[in-house]
Amino acid sequence: MSEKKSLIKLKEIYKSFDDNEVLKGVSLELSEGEIVAIIGGNGAGKSTLMKIIMGIYPLDRGEIYIGNENVRMNSTSIALEKGIYLVPQEPLLFPNMTVEENVLIGFSQNKTLLREKLRKLIDHLGWDICLTRKAATLSIAEQQLVEILRGLLREAKILILDEPTSTLTFNEIESFFNLMKDLQTKGIGMLYITHRLTEVFEIATDVVILRDGGITVNGPVANFTKKMLIKGLMPDNVEHEETKFDSEKTDYHKDPVLKLESLSGYGFNNVSFSVYAGEILGLAGVVGSGRTELAEAIFGIGEITGGDVLLKGSSIKNYNTKEIVNMGLNYVPEDRHLNGIFDIADVKLNTTSSILSQISKFFLNRKKEQKITQKYIDDFRIKVTGQDQLLKSLSGGNQQKVVIGRTLSSNPQVIILDEPTRGIDAGARGDVYKIIQELKKLGLAILLISSDFEEIHELADRAQVMYHGTNRIELSKEEISMDTLTQAAFGVQ
Amino acid sequence: MTIIKKLFEKREITALMFLIFLFLGVSLRNPDFINAQSISTVLKGSVLYIFLAVGMTFVLLTGGIDVSVGAILGISAAISATMIRDGSSVILSVALAITIGLIIGLINGIGVAVVKVPPIIMTLGTLGIIRGIMIIYTNGRWVENLPDSFKMASQASFGPLNVYFLLAVITVILVQLYFSKTKKGKYFAAIGDNIEGSVLVGIPVNKMIIIAYAISGLCASIAGVIFTSQVGFVTSNTGLDIEMVAIAACVLGGVSLSGGIGSVVGASIGAIIMTAINSALIFLKVPSFWNKFIQGLLLIIIVVSDVMIHKCFQEKARKQRLSARSESTKDTVIENDLPEESIFLGGNEQ
Repeated sequence: MSEKKSLIKLKEIYKSFDDNEVLKGVSLELSEGEIVAIIGGNGAGKSTLMKIIMGIYPLDRGEIYIGNENVRMNSTSIALEKGIYLVPQEPLLFPNMTVEENVLIGFSQNKTLLREKLRKLIDHLGWDICLTRKAATLSIAEQQLVEILRGLLREAKILILDEPTSTLTFNEIESFFNLMKDLQTKGIGMLYITHRLTEVFEIATDVVILRDGGITVNGPVANFTKKMLIKGLMPDNVEHEETKFDSEKTDYHKDPVLKLESLSGYGFNNVSFSVYAGEILGLAGVVGSGRTELAEAIFGIGEITGGDVLLKGSSIKNYNTKEIVNMGLNYVPEDRHLNGIFDIADVKLNTTSSILSQISKFFLNRKKEQKITQKYIDDFRIKVTGQDQLLKSLSGGNQQKVVIGRTLSSNPQVIILDEPTRGIDAGARGDVYKIIQELKKLGLAILLISSDFEEIHELADRAQVMYHGTNRIELSKEEISMDTLTQAAFGVQ
Repeated sequence: MTIIKKLFEKREITALMFLIFLFLGVSLRNPDFINAQSISTVLKGSVLYIFLAVGMTFVLLTGGIDVSVGAILGISAAISATMIRDGSSVILSVALAITIGLIIGLINGIGVAVVKVPPIIMTLGTLGIIRGIMIIYTNGRWVENLPDSFKMASQASFGPLNVYFLLAVITVILVQLYFSKTKKGKYFAAIGDNIEGSVLVGIPVNKMIIIAYAISGLCASIAGVIFTSQVGFVTSNTGLDIEMVAIAACVLGGVSLSGGIGSVVGASIGAIIMTAINSALIFLKVPSFWNKFIQGLLLIIIVVSDVMIHKCFQEKARKQRLSARSESTKDTVIENDLPEESIFLGGNEQ
């Protein structure tokens, strides 16, 4: 490796947001033709690190060397000038511009020359992409290709790929990997962020694991096995307890509480399943398989185009969300920040916000409000300084507990949890799991939507797997394993 | 068919059609509306709105809004008028008035881009301040008795066209070329389209936003000078509520209030429409106090229908994308083998 030219070298990078230290002395190096896979759980600091390399965030301490030059990255234009290009996970295109305008924006060279270069580049790559289409009409995968074209046209030496495969299909992933290999032979270095360990072994030359803002594993891929990588990802002191909760037998002879009859809508098609009281039904599937759209349709937010939803035997298809909540179904949305919490309101208000009409005539009944809130704080072990603490100052896990508490305050019989542990640390995750188990014991029917297959494996009594908008396979408790879930979720026969 | 369909998708064309139908419709009631003199009056009267709309387009494209243009127009008009009345040279007076407009625009831009004050609040603040200064400056009195030579300049014509209108047309063409042909011209729309994406491709976002507000201020002060020359006197109410007309003109011409879409050609046609409506009301013998009512109503109708059409399109595109995803099951069965032990960590962050 010593003969390869170093492209970028990070030395002891530190970065904090307020009191939260996100990066604690990260050092890594990328040389020509290397693909360094960067893996790490949510909140490990991957995105922050990449944004520092791109000059979007200033660093607190540390040095960045490009070639052999110590560079101060304080704006994106410096990074671009030095040949660094970030292909973001969610493509950041200009929806109202054409593909060509999107690629060419920001260049200072002659337009006609650039167009010629772009055409040659597309020919060379053999991509089929229409330059005059508006970016708003492209699929996510196509948008990603446009992002990569941008980077290549800039003759970037260092490409940062932020989970590019998370939204691609299998075939697209394959051609994407071929592209990466092609770029590799041209001496381009890539930082490849991913969640999928198999991809690391398939494409990367080196691997770096970030955990809690520090590097736990760093070296050539050949030196590691999957087991070693998993170990690097786990917190040191947590014995990975396979808390297989003793599952009480669900009574499947009773009528199901929630029943879908070939339900169709935008993003999902012909979905049928039932959820029984005292049962956790796992709904697995990758992002974009239509799970959230399905949940929103059940909850009266999204549109239903066919089929029926039965709650305790009666259809709730044509009811609005408020009526559905009153009938005994509630939903904990995927994105807390977007749909779930009132940031600058306190814990109490957040907990009772969905039942305000029940606990008040005209003025709020303070005592009742406090009592209900305290119950959930105690039951769920929510860490707060008081009921009037603002929700945005809580950690992600505690916020999620408040949201679940609020959902329960409406006394539902069915509860839909959409990615309940996303962006939550390991400790709080365990708490949330316990809460879900408690709810099950109380006899609630729980629909657990998750793309974290370990979560489904651990909690679910049965699992439905969504693939391209349809539930293809039902798995019983015994059949649920990482393998079966993964295969079904990716449409492997 | 597709050419006709494409033409109708262009907002400039639909705005132009609207203008033509307005003239035809009003002339059914009063045929005098469609003669050369009345059309020339409309075009002359539209000059200052065109300038305001050009400046406003810069700001709207970046996703902002500038409600201080009426006040800037007023103060520029007042300054140029008093200086010219008191015997200063016309060039010096005009230059000073325009510089002041530019400076106010810069202050707006810095407030929005650097201090991060929301655009409507920032420009509403400057609007108030300037209005106050203007009354102090003029003592609340009218500025009158301007030299005839300055007033007559507004009547000069080049061929059949009024000189000021010609100036406006040239400005619009130049700005349109700047937007469509130059590298930096595209930056304004890019910022309104996707600000994070703009940062990522190295667009100097703050700088461009400051420039946009500065140009808006500059254009408003040019409009102020033109007002002085055309009307011949300035009151302490000059330019009052005119920002509403400017914004309505832009929106009518297809400039999106959420940024990223629009052209100065469209905005200028919108400006002519707004003037034509004013003038049509006279020809229809509608009392003039209905003007503002109709302007405000029109603004809301256009904005609401624009937002609804936009939403409808977006929803349609989303549904198409989602349907495409769920229907592709039928033909794409993937035969790739997954390695026996594939492990996903923590789910997919979005």
